[in-house]
Amino acid sequence: MKRNSLRSRVTTFYVGMLAVALLVSSAAVYFGVRAFLTKSLEQMLSNTAHNIVTDYLVPLDQKGEPWLVAEMSESYPAGYSDPFVRVSQGPRILYQSGDMRDPFVSTSKLHLPSEQKWFNTFHRETAASGQRIVLYTLPYYAPNGSVIFVETGATIEPIRHVLRSLLLILLLTTPTILVVAAIGGYLLMSRPLRPVVVLTEQAERVGRKELGERLPIIPTGDELERLSLALNRMIDRLEAALDHNHRFSADASHELRTPLTIIRGELESLIQLPLPTTVMEGIGSALEESNRMAKIVHSLMTISRLDCGGEQIELVPVDLVEITGVTLEHMSLLAEEKHISLHFKAQQPTYVTGDPMRLKQIVVNLVDNAIKYTPEEGSVSVFVRAEGDQAVIIVADTGIGIPAAALPLVFDRFYRTDQARSRESGGIGLGLSIVKAICGVHGGAASVESIEGRGATFRVELPLLSSSAMEVEQLRSATYIGLASNHTQTFSGAQK
Amino acid sequence: MRILVIEDEQKVSALIKRGLISERYAVDVAADGIDGLELAEAYPYDLMILDLMIPRLTGAEVLQRVRRKNAFLPVLVLTARDTIDDKVKLFELGADDYLTKPFAFAELLMRVKALLRRGPVNRSSTLRVGELELDRLTQQVRRAGKRIDLTAKEYALLEYFMQNEERVLSRNMIIEHVWDQSFDGITNIVDVYVRHLRSKVDDGNLFKMIRTVRGTGYTIRSGNET
Repeated sequence: MKRNSLRSRVTTFYVGMLAVALLVSSAAVYFGVRAFLTKSLEQMLSNTAHNIVTDYLVPLDQKGEPWLVAEMSESYPAGYSDPFVRVSQGPRILYQSGDMRDPFVSTSKLHLPSEQKWFNTFHRETAASGQRIVLYTLPYYAPNGSVIFVETGATIEPIRHVLRSLLLILLLTTPTILVVAAIGGYLLMSRPLRPVVVLTEQAERVGRKELGERLPIIPTGDELERLSLALNRMIDRLEAALDHNHRFSADASHELRTPLTIIRGELESLIQLPLPTTVMEGIGSALEESNRMAKIVHSLMTISRLDCGGEQIELVPVDLVEITGVTLEHMSLLAEEKHISLHFKAQQPTYVTGDPMRLKQIVVNLVDNAIKYTPEEGSVSVFVRAEGDQAVIIVADTGIGIPAAALPLVFDRFYRTDQARSRESGGIGLGLSIVKAICGVHGGAASVESIEGRGATFRVELPLLSSSAMEVEQLRSATYIGLASNHTQTFSGAQK
Repeated sequence: MRILVIEDEQKVSALIKRGLISERYAVDVAADGIDGLELAEAYPYDLMILDLMIPRLTGAEVLQRVRRKNAFLPVLVLTARDTIDDKVKLFELGADDYLTKPFAFAELLMRVKALLRRGPVNRSSTLRVGELELDRLTQQVRRAGKRIDLTAKEYALLEYFMQNEERVLSRNMIIEHVWDQSFDGITNIVDVYVRHLRSKVDDGNLFKMIRTVRGTGYTIRSGNET
């Protein structure tokens, strides 16, 4: 159970509310019952006392004390009586029902009433045997002027017993109810929350590659349906904005091409004329820049097409080892120029599905980049291998490396770690963005690690073609003629 | 030789016209699809240069209608987009070649000449430029009888130069011809290989055959006229 899930929060809240309600009602029951039982007991004691006064004390003068004792011992026999009854005049006890039995309560040693404050009231005392007793004292003022006290009393043990049982029941049932409610509520919550889980899963999928997919609409008519509709409208707007963005960069580079054609054509026709060297220099430089601009426009268009999925890429089985080997051969002179040793290590054919041209471009751009940023006498190593279900191309150099802060940015468009230096070497700052875009359309990823001053390692992962080597060979034999199988080569120096 | 240029961008068509006229071609220009189609039907052109984005009729429609009447008119298409899809569609519609804007005029001219010649360029087994000789059968290169050892790439580069003697080859043309489009991004690869080739061909000789044309590319010259 996740601590912060909506489900557990709702359940916790509702169980909490239930707990408070149960506590309040339990307390009400407990105190209500206690008040009721106490009240009944007291009522009984006071009735008994008043009965004794009317039945036995009022006729006392005419009938005498022996009558009283006889009558009372009949009505309230000693030893059995409940309530306990005692009639006294001053220190003299006229009648006392004695100790109670069952349970045994010693009442014989209770103090005789003397204090005024006890008259007509209920008070509690502790019996010699330990129990709490409620006593009621009723003074009777006889016509001859003497005061006779009638005391009735009862132990509150039965009440306590009942209350203890009640408390026990409440203490046991309340947590049980709460636990059952919590489990039930948690399970019950999963039903209304199920659409949220579905929405979340689908939302995670939307936008991985394209925004084409939409969230499922939950036809419940409640807030969740409105939420899914609102989210879908949001995705619509996002898609429109992205589309607009892509179309803009495609249109912009498209629109730039015509003026570029004109600039170039005009300059080309000018350069044919017999002009002073300084003018020729200027025209030549302008031509070079227009070429670079054309290249930028071309690259931008390539990236925007790859990014928005506008380009249908070819999907054929490609042996990365083969195309990497061929590409490196074509580029060997670039490394040789700077006395950089170029190494290539690969054990066995590594197949992916993709556009051979585009995949080659990954190798070209990464290796070109590596050579560019590696000083003379350095080395550039290229590895191609399968790792799990991924085909991996690694291009490692011993060059100037990339500062840690710049690592997340190197694949960004027009990003340069060192403005002046790389412009000098003729780059346009889009090579790595193209690599990333190509990886994107092939369902792969590009990453980089670097220690500044020690070199950089670029890593490209592409989904490995899962068919068996045999099937691949069959597929290939129709399209390609196999190349040399020994793919461990070192290019540098071989041609000197 | 009469060439029809259908291009709405007046400056572009003017440039093409000027360049082609100086190469002694007769050039007509139409600024939209309808005009272009009318001209194409009225005169027997030897070649049509067609921009895809033109008003009134799209380039593709013009191409389709022209093809219905004249299956043999060579058509060079100018396009501002270069996706594979577009290219395939162009050839399906009957274009003979295409050129992506912006292009070097030298490249346009080369393609025009290739289309007009309508046959293999120079398929003889030996190519000759001045005192330089390239034997395609033995893949041997000699300058003034002295053998020059070349790597495979250098050989391919030199062959391309010699096929296009005196013509300026842009870096893009060289990359597409000798390497392939995936090398587009790196310009200096051409420079590096040309430098190596040049040192092998021209070092120790007074006349430098391989020349740099600033801002455009490279060319090979025989030196016979100087």
